[in-house]
Amino acid sequence: MSPTSTGTSSDASSLVNGVNNIKLSDRSKTDADILSEKAHYAPPWADVSIIGIAGSSGSGKSTLSQAIVNKLNLPWVVILSIDSFYKNLTPEQSKAAFLNEYDFDSPDALDFDALVERLRDLKAGKRAEIPVYSFEKHARLDRTTSIYSPHVLILEGIFALYDPRVLELLDMKSQVLRDQRDRGRDLEGIIKQWFKFVKPNFEKRKVADIIVPRGVENHVAMAMVTQFIQQKLLEKSKHHRAALTRLEIGAHSEPMSKKVNVVKQSPQIRVMNTIVQNIDTSSEDFIFYFDRLTALLIEQALNQVPFVPATITTPQGCTYAGLRAKGEVSAVLVLRGGAALETGLHRVIPDCKTGRILIQSNIRTGEPELHYLSLPPDIDKHEAVLLLDAQMSSGGSALMAVRVLLDHGVRQDRIVLVTFTAGKMGLHRLTKAFPEISVVVANVVPDLEERWVEKRYFRC
Amino acid sequence: MSDTKSSVGPDYQHESQKPTATVSTPVEGVGSLIVLPQTPQLIALLSIIRNKDTNRGDFIFYANRIIRLLVEEGLNHLPTVEHTVTTPVGRTYDGLAFQGKICGVSIMRAGEAMEQGLRECCRSVRIGKILIQRDEETAQPKLFYDKLPDDIANRWVLLLDPMLATGGSAIMAVDVLKSRGVPEERILFLNVLASPQGVRNFASKYPKVRIVTAFVDEGLNEKK
Repeated sequence: MSPTSTGTSSDASSLVNGVNNIKLSDRSKTDADILSEKAHYAPPWADVSIIGIAGSSGSGKSTLSQAIVNKLNLPWVVILSIDSFYKNLTPEQSKAAFLNEYDFDSPDALDFDALVERLRDLKAGKRAEIPVYSFEKHARLDRTTSIYSPHVLILEGIFALYDPRVLELLDMKSQVLRDQRDRGRDLEGIIKQWFKFVKPNFEKRKVADIIVPRGVENHVAMAMVTQFIQQKLLEKSKHHRAALTRLEIGAHSEPMSKKVNVVKQSPQIRVMNTIVQNIDTSSEDFIFYFDRLTALLIEQALNQVPFVPATITTPQGCTYAGLRAKGEVSAVLVLRGGAALETGLHRVIPDCKTGRILIQSNIRTGEPELHYLSLPPDIDKHEAVLLLDAQMSSGGSALMAVRVLLDHGVRQDRIVLVTFTAGKMGLHRLTKAFPEISVVVANVVPDLEERWVEKRYFRC
Repeated sequence: MSDTKSSVGPDYQHESQKPTATVSTPVEGVGSLIVLPQTPQLIALLSIIRNKDTNRGDFIFYANRIIRLLVEEGLNHLPTVEHTVTTPVGRTYDGLAFQGKICGVSIMRAGEAMEQGLRECCRSVRIGKILIQRDEETAQPKLFYDKLPDDIANRWVLLLDPMLATGGSAIMAVDVLKSRGVPEERILFLNVLASPQGVRNFASKYPKVRIVTAFVDEGLNEKK
């Protein structure tokens, strides 16, 4: 999320250190400015690039969009069809629709307000719920599909280049022309003909950056669009890595955040640690002791969740001023390392709701990338969310995972990161960017340690 | 019943943010007593197991969680030797290894409820049993049965009984262990709840036996 985006209550990161109100217009950089800059974490999906592909029906927009996505073969390039935004019909309109007398090719049939709102959410890095329209029922269905964290979004539809508010949000606009397949005519002829018979609402060609005749068969146009997207992805990756680097400032001079709880190294913990860390330990022993250590980590993590007083009566009739957890505690595993903590988690909370996030570091750039996401739907209502990972080195994936939780409405101070090992730099970055979260860690180790724990635990 | 109310929570929290609850009663002058840290989480677990309305399944589950914490804390008091190892990524870790063997001894039948928790922490641990019951005529505890590992004299003993009320049967259990050659300082007595009087009685008889408990409660004395 860019610092200039409109903040909401769930957007805690823009309130880091309370200096979010400093305007870019201030010419001279103040200390607070620098502080705010370095403490800001922008995920790679911040400021998504949106590409509009418009064209009349049958012109091959969908085929072109699909071909682009296939060619790039990346999970963060997503197609959004404008057809999802057909308005719910009135009973009369519905009747007409079933008689094929309703004009779906009119911009009036589309809910542009909703579209603009969703696009703005996505631009702000938030999750957007996309309506599902059924052509069989001629109605919006109750369920929605959600889009979250695309780096590039392809908006495809007859009226993709129609609404000026949408145009404002687009980074690239292309207009696909229908291929008449009239063999005798040259390309110019097709275009001329298209302009001649263009319906009034297709005059949007004026706003297109590129016009793509012959859709998917047009290799030059395909290359242009994919090149544009690749360039955008490269820029995003560069910005993201720069954001991670900026968070390193002060890692060696500043003290560790008070919200980082390093497990007390009692003799008992050290003995278990020795067994777990020893390369010569058998797999059987490794798993047994790791599970045991993890259960203790979870027990300690639960001390970070809110409690409220609860007076109870004992079987002997005495009253006792005790405590109870204020609300539900759920967990989110950062795959695959976090899954190694699942046994320990269930030993302590057997019925814990457990979400999953798959973040993988790109082999070439080392940049963490979000591949998969599945969270409990009511996660924003839980009193605490334990974010579990086996190891944290540079903190890149932890930063991303926390960002994901924040984007799903989890309050920063309700997040408890639980990890077996963590590097100092990673801890610094994380607590700099998200000072309200707490961390429970068994061992603080040198930075950039290979992810050996999950390899040992899963034995591959 | 005197309550020891205190605010509980992590250090970084402001006092006003922490909820208050009754915490373990301090017992003056008993150096052998080890009480688990009174964390909000532990207090919440105790609140569940002490609540008369808690169902059996929950009782067993949450009691087990406390018992595991007791075992883990008990193990802290075993002797260790330095043990440096190499990790899978080639880093050295200056660690520790336990020295000596352990076994469990449960005072029947309540102590047997703690065996599962012990086994979850210490696989294939040897577990001896002692049956002590109140003699109907003398009203004194009486030893009815014991079955202990043959080599118990060479082991550290985790003595298990969930409640330390008067200390009568625990004292008798230690008598038995001592008669089999286990020195007092190698016995760790683990219990979930203790009364201050029971702690004092037990400690005055066996000051070298360490008592590891989750909670010392004044109220425990009033009714048995």
